[in-house]
Amino acid sequence: MKVRKKGRWMVVLFALSFVFLSLATGASFALQTKPIVLGTTDKITVLDPAKTYDFYTWEVFQNIGEGLLKYKPGTTELMPGIAKSYEISSDGLEYTFKLREGLKFTDGHPLDAAAVKWSIDRVMKLNLDPSWLVSAFVDRVEVVDTYTVRFILKKPVSFFPALVATTPYVPVSPDSYPADKVGEPTVGHYGPYRIKKWIRDVELVLEANPDYYGSPPKSRLFVVKFYKNAATMKLALETGEIDVAWKSLRPIDIIDLKSKGKQKVLEAPGPYIRYIICRCNKPPFNDVKLRRAVAAAIDRERLCKEAYKGTVEPLYSMVPMGMWSHIDAFKQEYGERNLALAKRLLTEAGYSKDNPFNVELWYTPTHYGDLEADVAAIIKESLEETGMMKVQLKSAEWATYAAKYITAGTMPIFLLGWYPDYIDPDDYTSVFLHSEWSPDMGVFYSNPKMDEFLDKSRTEVDIKVRTELYKKVQKLMAEEAPVIPLFQGILTAATQPNIKGVILDPVMLLKYYLIYRE
Amino acid sequence: MASLRVYIVRRVLLAIPMIFILLGIVFFIMRVVGDPVSAILGGHAPQEQIEQIKQQLGLNRPLLIQFFGYLGQLLRGNLGRSLIWGQRPVISEIWDHFPATLELSICAFLVSIIIGIFTGIIAATHLNKFLDHTFRLYGIITYGLFIPWIGIMLQLVFGVYLGLLPIGGRIGTLMEPKTITGLYILDSLLTLNMNSFISALKHLILPSLTLGVYLSGIYTRLTRTHLIEVMGKDFIKAAWARGLPRRTVIYKHGLKNAFIPILTMMGLQFALLLVGAVLTEITFSWPGMGSLLFERITYRDFTTVQGIVVFFALIVVTVSLLVDVIYAYIDPRIRY
Repeated sequence: MKVRKKGRWMVVLFALSFVFLSLATGASFALQTKPIVLGTTDKITVLDPAKTYDFYTWEVFQNIGEGLLKYKPGTTELMPGIAKSYEISSDGLEYTFKLREGLKFTDGHPLDAAAVKWSIDRVMKLNLDPSWLVSAFVDRVEVVDTYTVRFILKKPVSFFPALVATTPYVPVSPDSYPADKVGEPTVGHYGPYRIKKWIRDVELVLEANPDYYGSPPKSRLFVVKFYKNAATMKLALETGEIDVAWKSLRPIDIIDLKSKGKQKVLEAPGPYIRYIICRCNKPPFNDVKLRRAVAAAIDRERLCKEAYKGTVEPLYSMVPMGMWSHIDAFKQEYGERNLALAKRLLTEAGYSKDNPFNVELWYTPTHYGDLEADVAAIIKESLEETGMMKVQLKSAEWATYAAKYITAGTMPIFLLGWYPDYIDPDDYTSVFLHSEWSPDMGVFYSNPKMDEFLDKSRTEVDIKVRTELYKKVQKLMAEEAPVIPLFQGILTAATQPNIKGVILDPVMLLKYYLIYRE
Repeated sequence: MASLRVYIVRRVLLAIPMIFILLGIVFFIMRVVGDPVSAILGGHAPQEQIEQIKQQLGLNRPLLIQFFGYLGQLLRGNLGRSLIWGQRPVISEIWDHFPATLELSICAFLVSIIIGIFTGIIAATHLNKFLDHTFRLYGIITYGLFIPWIGIMLQLVFGVYLGLLPIGGRIGTLMEPKTITGLYILDSLLTLNMNSFISALKHLILPSLTLGVYLSGIYTRLTRTHLIEVMGKDFIKAAWARGLPRRTVIYKHGLKNAFIPILTMMGLQFALLLVGAVLTEITFSWPGMGSLLFERITYRDFTTVQGIVVFFALIVVTVSLLVDVIYAYIDPRIRY
């Protein structure tokens, strides 16, 4: 009897051990295979590099695809991508890229010079939203041999390597993408990840690409969940439904997460900037004194603290902080804020307390988030603190603002924001300050000296010379104030404490393949 | 029966000009404030390219020509293509998003009716007592609440503090069932995928409750009012006199006769249900028609917005028609 009892206990013990071991093994297996889940309020607009023109879809392409060149994580420094090296001709018109050998797209098609040429030609032929990033600079692409491709430019462009790192230059497979129209195949790319499953606006599941030449992604499976609003995404992070909350948490959510301290909040300067544009070709802002008075009176500190609760930083140049050649040009010219100077300039322009300068400040409430009205109100108050300005706030819905008022020169001064197309000071300066393009932005600014600096820096290859030229551009910009920088966005991501490898950099495109669970 | 058929034909014919008028309003109002190409590319692409893309999309043609062109396409059953991003056919956009809205609407509708009718019955059968006052107040308060506020409160309580239910999305990560109907609950049952079923059900609870509670107030008040009225009628007194059980008197005789105005309201509420779905979907990141509509209005995607308006209008017309037909079935006195 005793023996039978002992036997029964042995069976129970064995069963318990089995269950425990199974659970332990299962848990450890689950830990290894559990995907990283990232939440975002952005969306994949169209999965085609010839058509997509938004930051989030570009981010996806930097993970499922790879350009000839790519950015070194955490920096704005370029490094080889699918091209292992490149050469520039002496006249700066030809860029010859040597590709890595033996690569193939996820549909099996070889990734060679012919595929690169086919992709670039397709972008130019389709002539869709981002195509100008290719067609404005590239005259044609030639296949030199199986693994060598040459870009012949229309004119020398010093920042061409930065252009090559943008998504329209990411090659796609001719077997998966249609030649003459937009396509959205989930295969036919080449990058660290490949698409396992994509449910539009719901979920994107990525898995490590076994054919990738470089180090495999730190997490084999990576899932992106798409949220319709930031509040829900923040709650999802708090409940552990997601591991990383990426673009874009609201300032109030960031403050709340920081104060609770249960999740990590990571911050880095972003390439996003906000500024005021002055219409320079018509009264009243054809008078440089008035533009300078506005530049001197703006209270950037208050703007960042009150409207954005310290989640953005005051900016004193159109070239963002963290980018080479940046100088605090407006701070050097006006200090952080100089009301006395603003008053003096207004007096010189013929205004006084009894005869104040009446001006309309325009903003759009439908494009830059919920805080835009607050931003406009704070600017109004800071200008009116001179006692010599009366500001009337006016607003227009974004489509009207962008489509009609900017280029028509309807608004004397107005608020605008800028995300870069390519990471180079040129992208933050030429479009606003060069007489050829500034009318497109509603600036209507023309100064031959400025044009000369910008033209030179667009063709000069030596970065030291370019840096000096952009410093001159920024100084002249601060002196004449056709555009007045306000603040620079901070990139913010919040993660669970055990998530590592989230590198925020000025390129603003998160590299999923570096993220892992500890 | 023949008169019912004539009535249905008349209603359908009346619906056609109604949809066209609605479409006309949406068409012209949306175009007053700009175009999608500038909304997306404004400031970045060169102006010539923006003009070229507008040309390709036909946005530079005179408005009336665009309108009649669109109507012509519509009459051929073509809702057109989206003007933005991948320029997908509008019908594909609708079919991608409609199952999510349908699933949410059905559940929210059921929640609203169940809560509304039962609270209404309790209020009516406890006239001027504590429960009556409580549910009358409930009926007024819920109707005045703001959907995102209800949603966020439920998310905080059941999602964050109690950790019982997910706070957003339709289903857990990597748990989508094989698509058959697009309704996750149904698809997971059809494919016998219990994990998906449980996950989809859990994700459905809070959004359905949010929308359901918001819409239930009107049923509470309506059921209460009409049940009180019916319960005072002679045939109810006769039923009591015959000694019928309380349950039979209230549910079989009372509620059945008080049900016609509630049914009318169900038809009318359907439009409100779709409106509520927009806010609920945004609060819960529910990938349905409401979210789609909201997003595309922002981007000035004219054709998609128009397509959704036509689709919603057709649904509302169909549901109203169905309700009218059901009247005749419930109340034999109604003749068309």
